[in-house]
Amino acid sequence: MRFDIDRYKEIIDTLSRNRSRTLLTGFGIFWGIFMLLIMLGGGNGLKAILNQNFAGFTSDAIIIGSSRTTKPYGGFKRDRYWSLDKTDIEVIKTLVPEADIVTMMDATWGGQITYSDKSYNGIIKGLTYEYVGVESPQPLFGRWINEVDCTQERKVCVIGKRVWSNLFPEGDDPTGKYIQFMGSQFQVVGVDGRNGGININGSPDQSVVIPYQILDRINNKGGKFDILCMTVKPGADSEVAQEKVRGLLSRRHSIAPDDKAAIMMLDTRKIFKIVDNLFKGVNILVILVGLGTLLAGAIGVSNIMMVTVKERTTEIGIRRAIGATPKMILGQIITESIGLTILAGMFGILFSVFILWGAGNVVSNLPDFSSGISFQIGFWTGIAVLLMLVALGVLAGLAPALRAMNIKPVDAMRDE
Amino acid sequence: MLIELKDVNKTYFGAQPLHVLKGINLGIERGEFVSIMGASGSGKSTLLNILGILDNYDSGEYRINGKLIWDLTESKAAEYRNKMIGFIFQSYNLIGFKTAVENVELPLFYQGVSRHKRHEMAMEYIERLGLKDWAGHYPNEMSGGQKQRVAIARALVTKPDIILADEPTGALDSKTSVEIMDLLKELNEKEKLTIIVVTHESGVANYTNKIIHIKDGVIGQIEENRAHDSVRFGSDGPLK
Repeated sequence: MRFDIDRYKEIIDTLSRNRSRTLLTGFGIFWGIFMLLIMLGGGNGLKAILNQNFAGFTSDAIIIGSSRTTKPYGGFKRDRYWSLDKTDIEVIKTLVPEADIVTMMDATWGGQITYSDKSYNGIIKGLTYEYVGVESPQPLFGRWINEVDCTQERKVCVIGKRVWSNLFPEGDDPTGKYIQFMGSQFQVVGVDGRNGGININGSPDQSVVIPYQILDRINNKGGKFDILCMTVKPGADSEVAQEKVRGLLSRRHSIAPDDKAAIMMLDTRKIFKIVDNLFKGVNILVILVGLGTLLAGAIGVSNIMMVTVKERTTEIGIRRAIGATPKMILGQIITESIGLTILAGMFGILFSVFILWGAGNVVSNLPDFSSGISFQIGFWTGIAVLLMLVALGVLAGLAPALRAMNIKPVDAMRDE
Repeated sequence: MLIELKDVNKTYFGAQPLHVLKGINLGIERGEFVSIMGASGSGKSTLLNILGILDNYDSGEYRINGKLIWDLTESKAAEYRNKMIGFIFQSYNLIGFKTAVENVELPLFYQGVSRHKRHEMAMEYIERLGLKDWAGHYPNEMSGGQKQRVAIARALVTKPDIILADEPTGALDSKTSVEIMDLLKELNEKEKLTIIVVTHESGVANYTNKIIHIKDGVIGQIEENRAHDSVRFGSDGPLK
């Protein structure tokens, strides 16, 4: 078989001069590819949207909260309310070697925040500088609260995006400005640019973060707080750490060791795993359905080419009579099939990429989503699909080509 | 001897075996203008297929230019057809979605001639057959006579040893038939081409210099026809 430009020109001629035939044959492949890529891209987009909700969230944090006891223990009756306190942090830090960051979070909901004549009703969160290991803020301006802020109990705050846009509608840099809440003046040191989404104790965009010690003092809670956040050291067993923490807390607060409900523990790894598995499932489904559609398209191509070969018996017979070898005919039909699948597939790829691009743009411009949400398929997915197309082309062309190969030149003259 | 057949037999094995060619012995010299004439069912089409290496024979010997045509692979047969034989068919057998010149180029394409050279050669033959203005037209835009000229150009373009014409005037009116037969005659006289015409029309056969009658699978009479007077009442043209 010769591989020269002429051969391809011959194929292009045959395809382009039988336009309606080419169009009909190619449509199945076009549609298959289009559906497969739209679904894959849709899956990617959905994942991107979900990931955006998880943005800035460490994937292996353990969130611990206190709740009413459900069992009587140590002389206390059930339904007792208990609180986490500063000492818990010290105890865990000393006695649980797996623990990496151990820090508290306290919040006051419904605080009126004002700046000159503007005001906003948000959440006041008391955090420590260590908290960045649990959630990663994305500063738009300035910085996060630091160790010195905490130890010197400075009246500084980091404001959320929505708080900022309400108090500073001009969109100017608020760092250094003073805002009022809880009866005090706080200097803004930074703006956290995160959107809402998955969060602990209130959405970060509606929050104002101040050093925990100050909130504790203002609320006069005496070192008690709502939520304890910790991470485990890299390589350490999170399950072991959780068991140790549970043991320590139940001993310190006289909670029955088997009272799981009294100490709420949330392992974010598990949530991420669920979401991950969900998307794996979705992807498998998408690929199965997409491949099915594509295969149906290929069978369609094969079918139509089969009919085409029958219809072209005379043409093929003529070609054979004037010197085409069976191999050349085989090559021609298979190349036609590959050419057709690639052509149709390329249109499918182009069209779906275009639609996905549009979808990404529309979603990115919606108010509740950050920009840069992409529905696009990856480059290597594209390459893989392309290779698959070639394989499908060969597959689809095989049966018709074999049939064409068996056409004898005498057949050209018989059909009269 | 350009074409040599010795005791060629062919049987079609169907529900009822059909012995079509019963020992054909035939010799055709280079430069001859011959017709093979016979009624339908006489075996003339089978003989044509064998001559054109389109079909196999069961026993005997068939040589072109001394080369034995026997037990060829499909690709070898295709190569021989391409190089040694030019076909002219009753129904022209042009490829509908190709222009006249592209149809003529096709055998050269299968020979592996480069595009530029191919086009040049094809144009040369198209012009020689007076179809210069029709080179870019598709077959369905041409008359029957023009189509047959394209087919003749296609048969000639590879400079084959033998031109095999199967009922070349079968689909043409009598005026065009005369033109085509005159053309074939001229090609034989001027280019010294070996032309074999298969026909059942005595008027067509009368144009050739030698008429080979075939009947029931055997060669009957071989008639020298230099004077072109074999057909008494058709001497001024093919019978229609």
